[in-house]
Amino acid sequence: MAEVRLVDIEKRYGNFLAVPQQSLTIEDGEFLVLLGPSGCGKTTTMRMIAGLEEITSGDIQIAGERINDKPPKDRDIAMVFQNYGLYPHMTVRQNIEYPLKLRGVDKAARTKRVQEMADKVELGALLDRRPSELSGGQRQRVALARAIVRTPKIFLMDEPLSNLDAKLRVTMRAELKHLHHELGVTTVYVTHDQMEAMTLASRVAVMREGRIVQLDTPKKIYAEPANLFVAGFIGSPSMNLVDGAVRNGMFRAEGIEVPVSLADREGVVIGIRPEELEIAGDASASINGKLYALELTGDSTLVTLRSGQTMLCARGPADFEAPIDAPCHLTPKPGARIHLFDRASGQRLDGTRH
Amino acid sequence: MRPAPFPIGNKFCPGDPDVKEKTLSYALLIPAFIIVLATTLYPLGYSFVTSFREWDLTKQRRPSGFVGVENYVHAASESGFQNSLWVTTIFVVTSVILTLVLAMSLALLLRRKGRMHTFTRIILILPFAMSPALIGVSYRFMFNPEFGVLAKGIGAVFPALEGTPWLASPDLAMAILVITDVWHWTPYMTFMCLGGLASIPRETEEAARIDGASNLRIIFGIVLPQMKGVLLVTAVLKTIFALKMFDQVVTLTGGGPGTSTETMAFFIFNVGFKWFDMGYASALAWILTAIMMLISAWYVRMLLSERKMAKA
Repeated sequence: MAEVRLVDIEKRYGNFLAVPQQSLTIEDGEFLVLLGPSGCGKTTTMRMIAGLEEITSGDIQIAGERINDKPPKDRDIAMVFQNYGLYPHMTVRQNIEYPLKLRGVDKAARTKRVQEMADKVELGALLDRRPSELSGGQRQRVALARAIVRTPKIFLMDEPLSNLDAKLRVTMRAELKHLHHELGVTTVYVTHDQMEAMTLASRVAVMREGRIVQLDTPKKIYAEPANLFVAGFIGSPSMNLVDGAVRNGMFRAEGIEVPVSLADREGVVIGIRPEELEIAGDASASINGKLYALELTGDSTLVTLRSGQTMLCARGPADFEAPIDAPCHLTPKPGARIHLFDRASGQRLDGTRH
Repeated sequence: MRPAPFPIGNKFCPGDPDVKEKTLSYALLIPAFIIVLATTLYPLGYSFVTSFREWDLTKQRRPSGFVGVENYVHAASESGFQNSLWVTTIFVVTSVILTLVLAMSLALLLRRKGRMHTFTRIILILPFAMSPALIGVSYRFMFNPEFGVLAKGIGAVFPALEGTPWLASPDLAMAILVITDVWHWTPYMTFMCLGGLASIPRETEEAARIDGASNLRIIFGIVLPQMKGVLLVTAVLKTIFALKMFDQVVTLTGGGPGTSTETMAFFIFNVGFKWFDMGYASALAWILTAIMMLISAWYVRMLLSERKMAKA
């Protein structure tokens, strides 16, 4: 049982409030992703769990035990760093072995365990090399092996994939997911990459300015963003957000008329994901404007439409072609989710099913 | 090769512009080259030639008879030089080790940015800003048994040491010479170590903390191994400076008591400008140079293999 509870934790640096008071429970065996733009306090939060950063107030409990005053080594955690944090003067073997050595595991057991871990992350042949002789992906594998070698209660991962190239990131992502499935260790994972968050997480905590603005499963976060920030942050290309007003069951903005089930209201923002818009044949469509750009992505074409000052993006078929500046019409697909938000507070408004 | 963006050459400027530019750059180097030639290379060559000749400055204006390697052979058996070699060895070894240990310890203490950050650094650099000759003079005053502030201060704390003739005892004089040198060089070396520490990725230490290493273990097992390159460079520099150390001997101990602090540089100076045996002095100077080159070469080899290990 290794549940992590953050109770009313707060972090200040002098007068600067990095993480305002809040609570968070990470359940046993869960893969929790802290997601947010840089400087949103996600790394600070993780470092507080690790004990690398002191908490200003509040409590941290791991498996029911208060660990506020315990040094990192007594918290039974393992951490993977963005820059790997490998010991450059040690070989791969010595790197992986180090945590065991510090905990007084005997030589024979260490050798066996290192070999097991190296095989698990496919490093068996590289044990006698130094980190500087490895590629980025291999280094990250060493860091992983070093983290899992002594089966800690909690894994902490601070943007472990962001130093790798795009292709490797996707492979490593799958490996991480598999590893978590295999070991079942509670994992906290920090990233600014929403794709990583969506694919890896059991639950995602979206953070903004130190505060968790939505904590939910990836599916829920995608389908029902709690506010404008989450709506704009999750999804690629990001959700179309247009300012307007609701009149007689119809959301209206320049060139846009979408039926919604919401009482009349000013200052409403409508949100429609590009993948839930389709190209329509004529001007009776909900959204009318001129074609601004076409971007072929391989399996589809991103169609950007311009209506007055507003730009909207839709994911159309790969073979769609039309001249730039030609009249263009978009309409929500049948059953598309229309999201409505309050302009002033940014909060989600209810009754938004199309 | 990409074509030139516009036509250049004979049509617009006479001669090839590349050659012209090169000639100009060499021409600009000539003054610097002449100065180096006149002040460094010529004296070096002259002293090398002189080291194979007999030259008594009281009798001859120029080096006279060629004596082969006699000056070098003489050095091998002459007691004054043997003594200075021994004195220098003791001085270099103790001052290099002490400076490095102190500098590294200070750097470890100062690496964290605190409120006193700037202040400590300014204080720290002061000893290095002082002229070595002046340091010698001040320490001589401070260790004067009659009125020296340090001599009196030590006497006040440890009454048994009151009136100790600090600079009149061979061992104590050497110790004080080493202290002045360590005091002078530690700041500079501390800054080098601070630079080295700043380049160590913070993650390695944090990873070690999480892996379960104690503070001491982090310093000796994680930080110092990564500092090896910087420490080697620091050691090379400090060794060379210590081998050449001259000012403090002149102003602090004058080589005494007896010949107990007669370092090589000081001894060579005496041979040449007190006893006017220029031939022998030149030979000794070249022996000192050879020693420095050997030590440097050894350090550089260590450094290269270290680099190779870190890079390969």
